[in-house]
Amino acid sequence: MTCREFEPMLHAFVDGELDVETTTAAQAHVSSCPECHGRVDGERRLRLLLRQQPQDVAPPEFRARLLAVARWERRRAALRVWLGVPAFAIAAVLLAALLMTRAIPPGPSAPRFVDTLVDKHLVYAQIESPAEFTSGEPGQVAAWLRNRIGMRVPVPDYSHAGIRLVGARIAEADERKLAYLLYEKGHMLMSVFMLPDAAEAQTLPGKAVSYRGHEYLTRERKSLRTVSWRDGQAVFSLVSMLDYDALLECADRLRAERARETRL
Amino acid sequence: MLRWVRGRGQAPEFEDVALVHLDLLYRTALRLTHNRAEAEDLVQETWLRALRHFDQFDPGSNCRAWLVTILRNAFLNKLRREGRERLESEAAGDSAGSANFEDSAVDRSTPEEEFLQTVFHGDVERALKTLSEASRQVIMLADLEGFTYREIAQVLSCPIGTVMSRLSRARQLLRKELRALAREHGYSEGSR
Repeated sequence: MTCREFEPMLHAFVDGELDVETTTAAQAHVSSCPECHGRVDGERRLRLLLRQQPQDVAPPEFRARLLAVARWERRRAALRVWLGVPAFAIAAVLLAALLMTRAIPPGPSAPRFVDTLVDKHLVYAQIESPAEFTSGEPGQVAAWLRNRIGMRVPVPDYSHAGIRLVGARIAEADERKLAYLLYEKGHMLMSVFMLPDAAEAQTLPGKAVSYRGHEYLTRERKSLRTVSWRDGQAVFSLVSMLDYDALLECADRLRAERARETRL
Repeated sequence: MLRWVRGRGQAPEFEDVALVHLDLLYRTALRLTHNRAEAEDLVQETWLRALRHFDQFDPGSNCRAWLVTILRNAFLNKLRREGRERLESEAAGDSAGSANFEDSAVDRSTPEEEFLQTVFHGDVERALKTLSEASRQVIMLADLEGFTYREIAQVLSCPIGTVMSRLSRARQLLRKELRALAREHGYSEGSR
């Protein structure tokens, strides 16, 4: 090989992109030609210098966010198969909630109970299977919850309002067991948390609102609305991106369902 | 009960194959946008696009090249939307320049590269910034990320021959810039 022949393959040679035969021939030339040897050496040094440059890495919280997005997206795909709903819309809204979390400053230092529930809702939106028991049948879900926590839990049917029951799970907040119901309406999820026995005086945060003769507390956090109330010993909390009108209507029906169950 | 997750031992999940390339995507986005917030947005968009088209990804093929290709296309679309055609025009300028590359750029007179030892911290970044977007990209992929010619060709959607000519030209230009910076720091030809 001559210098003229080697010249055009200098970079491919240094980058290890030549085939074996050509590499052998080029190597033989470089070993015997000080000028080409110098050129190869120069290219290698430049490459070494570039490879030694400090490399940026993605910030850990950004990495975590993308990971959550991937999990959520897969859940969405599963939901679509399962529910036959346009789950893309669910993803859009919940992804927005997920992605927005970076812009939200940390809350008050002592997280209050309802805030914990909002976080739970966000967590459940991200995990693979938010409902331990999946069924759209209120009777089945109620039976499952009764078996798991040993007491009757109201499971209202909101299907007339287009809000479909997805399933239930046993949740935990502040080391207490909660019954958890998951509903979805089109593209939005709604979490219903029920703390059956809130023995100690549990202060509920939020703005007092009266709806059909009952008092509720409303609160907005991390773009999610919450409606909470106390009913005897139990504490109920709805968390969703649905508007307050819808949530208050759901709350009212849940209250009625509970009253009906108590009468039974 | 319904199963949500694809069973183990089946096709890998998106994040299993993509997450290892996140730093690469982030760096590549930073180099394109020169802005951390924009880079995050671009990576996020890339991530979602890749996720939604993951079923079209052939598990046996090259994942990092696939991801960087999506990222680059997302970036180009963004430029088009914003009416900026910077990258395209510069790429065109680059290939036009390669016509007289043989005459001008080859620096045969320099047998050694001692000036590289006089390169200071930060010089490489400065020198890279003087290159056109197209030149910078090809150097970043080849020399900073260790992409093969084939991978670069996939990302830039051009023939391997074009990758080679762009790369050698980009390296010549970079070397020229570094030499100029070395001179600024007091390095003089023949002093060693």
